[in-house]
Amino acid sequence: MRQGLKNLVIRFTACAALSIVAVPGFALQDVLESKAMTTEKAPSSLLLDVVKAGNRLVAVGERGHIIFSDNQGKTWRQASVPVSVTLTAVHFPSQTQGWAVGHGAVILHSADAGETWEKQFDGNVANEVVIGAAQRNVAALEKALDSASDDKKSKLEAALDEANFALDDAKADSEAGASKPLLDVWFKNDKEGFVVGAYGFFFSTKDGGSTWENAAPRIANPDRFHLNAMNQVTGGAVFIAGEAGVLFRSVDGGENWVTLESPYEGSLFGVAGNGNVNEVTIYGLRGHLFRSVDMGDSWSGVDSGTESSLMGSFASSDGSMYVVGNSGTILVSGNAGESFKSRVREDRVSLMSGIMLEDDSLILVGENGVVIADSQGRSK
Amino acid sequence: MSNPKHDKGEHFLLTPKAEPFMERVIFNNRFIILVAFFFLTIFLGYNAAQIKPDASFERLIPLEHPFIVNMLKNREDLENLGNSIRIAVAVKDGDIFNEQYMETLRQITDEVFYLPGVDRSGMKSIWTPNVRWVEVTEQGFQGGPVIPDGYNGSRDSLEKLRQNILKSGQVGSLVSDNFKSAIIYAPLFEINPETNEPLDYKAFSSVLEEKVRTKYLAQNPNVNIHIIGFAKKVGDLIAGISSIALFAIVTITMTLIFLVLYSRCVISTLVPVLTSIIAVFWQLGILNLLGYGLDPYSVLVPFLVFAIGISHGVQIVNQVALEVGKGFDSLTAARLAFRQLYIPGMLALISDAIGFLTLLFIKVDVIRDLAVAAGVGVAVIIITNLVLHPLIVSYVGITKSGVAHVQNHNDKTDRKWRIMSFFAHPSVAPISIMIAILGFGLGIYYQKDLKIGDLDAGAPELRADSRYNLDNKYVISNYSTSADILVIMVETPDEKCSSYKVMDAMDRMQWVLENTEGVESTASLVTVSKHVTKALNEGNLKWFELPRNQSIINSSIQRAPSGLINTRCSMTPLLVFLKDHKAETLTHVVNVIQGFVAENTSDDYRFLLAAGNAGVEAATNEVISKAKDMMLAFVYAVVSILCFITFRSIRAVICIVTPLGLTSVLCEALMAQLGIGVKVATLPVIALGVGIGVDYGIYIYTKLEHMLIEGKPLQEAYFQTLMSTGKAVSFTGLTLGLGVFTWIFSPIKFQADMGVLLFFMFIWNMIGAIWLLPAMARFLLRPDKMVEKARKAAKPV
Repeated sequence: MRQGLKNLVIRFTACAALSIVAVPGFALQDVLESKAMTTEKAPSSLLLDVVKAGNRLVAVGERGHIIFSDNQGKTWRQASVPVSVTLTAVHFPSQTQGWAVGHGAVILHSADAGETWEKQFDGNVANEVVIGAAQRNVAALEKALDSASDDKKSKLEAALDEANFALDDAKADSEAGASKPLLDVWFKNDKEGFVVGAYGFFFSTKDGGSTWENAAPRIANPDRFHLNAMNQVTGGAVFIAGEAGVLFRSVDGGENWVTLESPYEGSLFGVAGNGNVNEVTIYGLRGHLFRSVDMGDSWSGVDSGTESSLMGSFASSDGSMYVVGNSGTILVSGNAGESFKSRVREDRVSLMSGIMLEDDSLILVGENGVVIADSQGRSK
Repeated sequence: MSNPKHDKGEHFLLTPKAEPFMERVIFNNRFIILVAFFFLTIFLGYNAAQIKPDASFERLIPLEHPFIVNMLKNREDLENLGNSIRIAVAVKDGDIFNEQYMETLRQITDEVFYLPGVDRSGMKSIWTPNVRWVEVTEQGFQGGPVIPDGYNGSRDSLEKLRQNILKSGQVGSLVSDNFKSAIIYAPLFEINPETNEPLDYKAFSSVLEEKVRTKYLAQNPNVNIHIIGFAKKVGDLIAGISSIALFAIVTITMTLIFLVLYSRCVISTLVPVLTSIIAVFWQLGILNLLGYGLDPYSVLVPFLVFAIGISHGVQIVNQVALEVGKGFDSLTAARLAFRQLYIPGMLALISDAIGFLTLLFIKVDVIRDLAVAAGVGVAVIIITNLVLHPLIVSYVGITKSGVAHVQNHNDKTDRKWRIMSFFAHPSVAPISIMIAILGFGLGIYYQKDLKIGDLDAGAPELRADSRYNLDNKYVISNYSTSADILVIMVETPDEKCSSYKVMDAMDRMQWVLENTEGVESTASLVTVSKHVTKALNEGNLKWFELPRNQSIINSSIQRAPSGLINTRCSMTPLLVFLKDHKAETLTHVVNVIQGFVAENTSDDYRFLLAAGNAGVEAATNEVISKAKDMMLAFVYAVVSILCFITFRSIRAVICIVTPLGLTSVLCEALMAQLGIGVKVATLPVIALGVGIGVDYGIYIYTKLEHMLIEGKPLQEAYFQTLMSTGKAVSFTGLTLGLGVFTWIFSPIKFQADMGVLLFFMFIWNMIGAIWLLPAMARFLLRPDKMVEKARKAAKPV
């Protein structure tokens, strides 16, 4: 009896203690540290990009979703992803090596064709990188100023002011934490690659993502416009397109950049080649679409037949070019982007990207996840 | 006493000596008592007329449940969330882009704008200027009202309108996906700021019918009008209650006809009806004096009171006729009837009352009110039908035809009773027992499907084919909306409701819920923030994410609907849209939420369950399922104890209670099969059914025991019982059944459900008492011992 009573007391105390421990509980981990939840809904939720990794299809989207399919999009599996932020773009320079980017300036890397991913970089690192670069810049300028001749002094002083200003800016920005998204990723090969993003975010790596460098000083983007897209066209030129029509080009694989004269003052969301050397198509807000046959030195407007914003593009094996966009817009060009035939899909669901499969059907991704369409973009 | 046989008294009763005393007091002062009753009736009748309808929402919900406590605490902040109406104007032929349709829609918009109680600033329709299309351009946003400038109904302007609607993003909310209807959305003021009067739901609902539905259906034959919203539902419910008056008339008329057929005597017909109606007056008068009103549930109690009154009245009528037939004058006959019936009558009524009072266990005010109302009703019947009735009869007697009808029995008319007496036969009884066991088995088998809560879609209070539910179905199938909403209240310190931490936690809970079976979608401030952030970034879906930067969050929710954020920014609701409000769905979703909350706690926020119709229902279900078994156990315990005290025999208790148990089990099986869930409306019925059902057993057993003690063999004793009490019992079962049968036609679904179940229980309890009780008696009773015991008790001490 006594023993029983004692047991009861012990149990009661243990319960009380447990409940005290339980109250502070387990606060939520930051989204940059939380594994993406496994869900059957991933293929039907917001997806923002889809690419091929060998024969495999890999798509990325909201809440850290990365899905892949080995049967031409019939069924999808969800990859293991260490973050649960919205992922905006993915690129596989080879069959197995791939990178995905997203909100919180996260960069993910996969070495197994998209099945598992590890985090290489995020906004907190980005802030450090940017601040570090700004500090080095300030230090260098201060040093230069010390030993500068008088005639160069005023110029250097102005530069130093600007550098200090940039440093303050970077520090202030970092207080909001990992708040800026990366919007596109492009890798030249398994080692060298670039990511671009909001407010002029631009980073590069030469070691497969182990270390990242602030590449923003390489381009002239004083207003820090969003950099929306980055792509290489046949012939080797690399382009970056962004907010307010900003356009940059590099012909040496991303080291040196020139600012191009833009045909458009509205936002550009994509840039793509069409298979012909030095030919490039850019597109963006409200159906605006332009084409250049001289590596972007001059542009001509192309009638897209739509007022919906154009968000993504892809090429087919036969050289047709597809551009997709908001409200179910899909454009097809059979003549290297000279002219397009436009269609609004019945569901009017916004599309972000797509790819053509071997059987000429299309995998489109967007607002409602994956849709499979025929070569004209009609739902199957 | 003129008939010494009766002087022996019911020796097995608890207080045998009390009987003559009570009788003497009542009958020696019968004139004074009658006059007193007369004035009492006038007084209480006057009060009964003052009783007010009371359809307050709060009485329908379990106020002590933590969900409800949380909901009421945040009530003011949640108000903007719920109370609104939607009027869908559907086109019959073609689509909405035609001139006549648009004109009708414009006129209805104007009409609704001027309805008292409508919050005009929040009203939305494609004809209100606050509904705009927005487009991102190189210069920023561009937009305008969806009705294009210079709209004139021409083909061009209609086409422009179509474009604007597509750009406005209202497809699915203000315009249906198929362009065959458009919605006028009108939030309502709970308290009208102009008059400071609370919204009169009934009046508002009928104004909608009159000024919107009727008027514009007549004006434009090419449209259909569907109206939904809490105010309309409550209005329809209140309107539905008024059909009760019709049921009352039908019930009384049918009872009169039955009584005439049964008694063949005008007096025996009118007196029980009169005393039962007096009982109803008394009951309502007392309730009014106690401060109770009539709600949609307790409005049924007067029917019960009337029916119970009649059933006891019939026993009196029957007994008086038998005594008069023996040659007694009406006073003596009334006294004898009183003497024989007042103990079993009172016992039966007290069991009824206690059965009802077990409902007090359920912490939902309407059920408690129902318990009180029914308890009061039964208490007054003790006076009106056990005292007043015989007193009146002692003056007016009964007609000769009535007496003749009772005496006029021969072998032919007796034959059916003779056949039925075989239920007590040694070779029939085992078969009956077998059937009963089979019945128990089947009942328990089918009862497995019994569900807690409301099972039907739409507004469960109303019928599936009611106007309101049809309208609701139309709107739900044509628009992206759900009728079953569970609201999680997210509490934070002041000014923190939109902080990133809180919003992030909400976002993740939303995703967990969206991945939960039974959840269709979720919405909150986070949803708004994500959509607006995307829109502010030129409609680029790559920005569809909760911003981490607080100033971006703040600008993204600047124009969030007012219901999503309170003035102190210390509470924000998270809306969970469910596919239905079945108990399993609710329990599952609530468990998921509680699991998430348990795993993720923080000082920055608290997730509180639960508001919304589904939240209330989840709380009610929990209360109901907890109370159900306890209530049943209690009601059976009380009934058994009362029977034991009266009859001093466990065997008697088993004889009386077993048929009730069979009825209860079968009733639950019936509920499961008819898709009627255990809910606020039906749980009381289970208790009422047992309480009232026990009457039959008590009356029959009393008589049967009486006959056995007189030395008759069981079957003969039972035959005699059937001839007198049995006849009255079977008639009673029919009258009671009849009294509630009319409810089955009530426009209010839960009243109909109550009607079906009570009808079943009354009839089946009667069958159980007449068929199963004698079979049980055959196995359990020892007539020789009973005689011996009676003899001992009769010996003077």
